[in-house]
Amino acid sequence: MKILVCVKQVYMPGTDGTVDPAAAGMKYNPANFRLNSYDEYALEEALLIKERIHTTEIHAVSVGPERVEAVIKRAMEMGAGEGIHIRYDKEEQLTPYQIASLIASYARDKQYDMIMTGVMAEDDMQMQTGQMIAGILDYPYASSVILQEMRGDATVYVERECDARQRQCLEMEMPCILTIQSGINRPRYPSLSNILRAKQQKIATLDASDLRIPESREEIIRLFPPENKPKGVFLNGTQREKASQLLKILHEKSFL
Amino acid sequence: MQNKIAVIAQHAGGRTDPVTYEAISCAVKLCAGETSCIKIIVVGDRVEKIAGEMAEKTGVDILAIENSQLGLYNAEAYREVLSDLFKEIVPEYIVIPHTSTGYDFAPSLAIKLGATCITAVEGVNCDNEKRSFLRTVSNGKLFAEVVSKTKTTIITTQPGAWPTEGKRTERKGSVEIIKTEVAPGKTKTLAFKQSDDLGMEMANSEVIVSAGRGIGKKENLSLIEDVAKLFPRSAIGCSRAVCDAGWLEYRHQVGITGTTVSPRLYFAIGISGAIQHTSGIKGAQMVVAVNNDPVARIFNIADYCVVEDLTQFLPVLMEEYKNNYK
Ligand SMILES: Cc1cc2nc3c(=O)[nH]c(=O)nc-3n(C[C@H](O)[C@H](O)[C@H](O)COP(=O)(O)OP(=O)(O)OC[C@H]3O[C@@H](n4cnc5c(N)ncnc54)[C@H](O)[C@@H]3O)c2cc1C
Ligand SMILES: Nc1ncnc2c1ncn2[C@@H]1O[C@H](COP(=O)(O)O)[C@@H](O)[C@H]1O
Repeated sequence: MKILVCVKQVYMPGTDGTVDPAAAGMKYNPANFRLNSYDEYALEEALLIKERIHTTEIHAVSVGPERVEAVIKRAMEMGAGEGIHIRYDKEEQLTPYQIASLIASYARDKQYDMIMTGVMAEDDMQMQTGQMIAGILDYPYASSVILQEMRGDATVYVERECDARQRQCLEMEMPCILTIQSGINRPRYPSLSNILRAKQQKIATLDASDLRIPESREEIIRLFPPENKPKGVFLNGTQREKASQLLKILHEKSFL
Repeated sequence: MQNKIAVIAQHAGGRTDPVTYEAISCAVKLCAGETSCIKIIVVGDRVEKIAGEMAEKTGVDILAIENSQLGLYNAEAYREVLSDLFKEIVPEYIVIPHTSTGYDFAPSLAIKLGATCITAVEGVNCDNEKRSFLRTVSNGKLFAEVVSKTKTTIITTQPGAWPTEGKRTERKGSVEIIKTEVAPGKTKTLAFKQSDDLGMEMANSEVIVSAGRGIGKKENLSLIEDVAKLFPRSAIGCSRAVCDAGWLEYRHQVGITGTTVSPRLYFAIGISGAIQHTSGIKGAQMVVAVNNDPVARIFNIADYCVVEDLTQFLPVLMEEYKNNYK
């Protein structure tokens, strides 16, 4: 088995305030970058296959500027054997179609049996990249996969999670593409030996322009913060005052 | 101007999914109320009845594509029949609900058609000649306004962001049914199955006290349980992140892939308010949120907002209760 896992570095601004739209896409606080958590589930799923089929090779690929090497390294620390960086340094963000095209043109002649992505990138929530790679390479695929099992050498049984607790059960030929949903496994923490091994290993870097970047099909013309118009009431005062106000409200509404 | 906009209906078990009407609302907005340029596409097996119902309810013309192979959803089959259709009638916009079927086939259909795909759209801006689309980015901290540069654009509509009730018209839409061939593909849908743990406990409760990743560790669940015990008919809920961490079983999960709940009171504690979670609590009559992030999304839908560290606030809340209400 040869598996390619796509990993994205996501930008997750937390409690350190709102994002300044003027700066968005340009000035990032480096502390807020991390590996997309759905991609950890994808990596773990590949590692579980390798535990059963020892000859399995796992490669991790990421598209982006120099900083995304951090998530490729992280994937290698978790256990990916090789890391590939498709480097793209320009300011304007690539669209899912462009990212899928780059990954597809890299993967096309590499004989991967399976390509895995996360079900979505947590920051921009596109839910497109895996399905688009499948479209470009004309591979069968399933999104939001919550269970996968090999059936023989060339077939995979898959359950995908649908809305309202339904599951779709399907079978597909390999090579195929699976976008992995959270909860399918428990991603491991990198072991010390893997961390040391990853330190020794080099990441293979390719220039995005060598793979031909297609024209983007859409364009962001404006970024702006959502009108933060909370409809509700913010309770004020000390912790104790807030607690007593809340209890009063619950009492008045006859919950207590 | 003919059939400028196609809406792909979502249906199952002989019923139209309400998200279909949300997608139609988006289409109506796109064509400024000129519903004659909309066509609803119904893909499936024996769909005459629901096609008729949709035509009646919306006044929009229907094109149904039927084959016994299309009875159960299959991404590849959907993509093939739809791309054949849209090579014949080239729409400017194809509107699809952003659900587990919609986001499954829309991006690969876009590749087949050479179309743009803009997902999880929450609004349309019609101010200019050119339409632009609103979707959230940067973990919900920003909106992006996006324009398409291709002839055909696929839009997936975020469930919950669009009205389901359209303008009622006198006119009843027409229904045309095409029988089609489906070539065997590389994927085979075997079945759809329903998971057995349905979260019945939450469905029957007046109050749901829900924990998010913000509780930090499993041990802190006791804080949530203490709050729940204040109310006679209460249940414990949680976000998906809490189930994924193994802190609670999946039957407690609230949201689009969990249970949809409509309690009188929903307590969201340490929950950020991701759309996949909040679309499951739209029926709640009152929402109280506790979160230490003053700009957490959950505060946009909460009736009462407490900006505090839950590990400090909840014990104080319990103390105050004991002192004054017990
Ligand atoms: C296809 C799909 C389907 C999904 N379906 C669902 C679903 O059905 N239900 C669901 O819930 N999710 C679902 N998700 C996941 C969803 O997108 C979010 O990832 C998830 O809801 C986040 O859970 P959370 O709010 O607990 O965690 P986080 O987003 O990590 O939020 C934690 C919150 O806790 C706050 N916090 C941290 N520490 C403290 C403290 N000490 N005191 C107070 N507050 C604190 C933080 O400020 C933050 O707002 C789905 C995702 C996908 C891709
Ligand atoms: N820049 C990228 N580099 C590598 N993989 C990516 C990139 N962007 C998205 N992906 C993969 O595609 C999945 C879905 O992302 P998205 O379609 O952006 O929601 C992610 O979980 C990643 O596995």
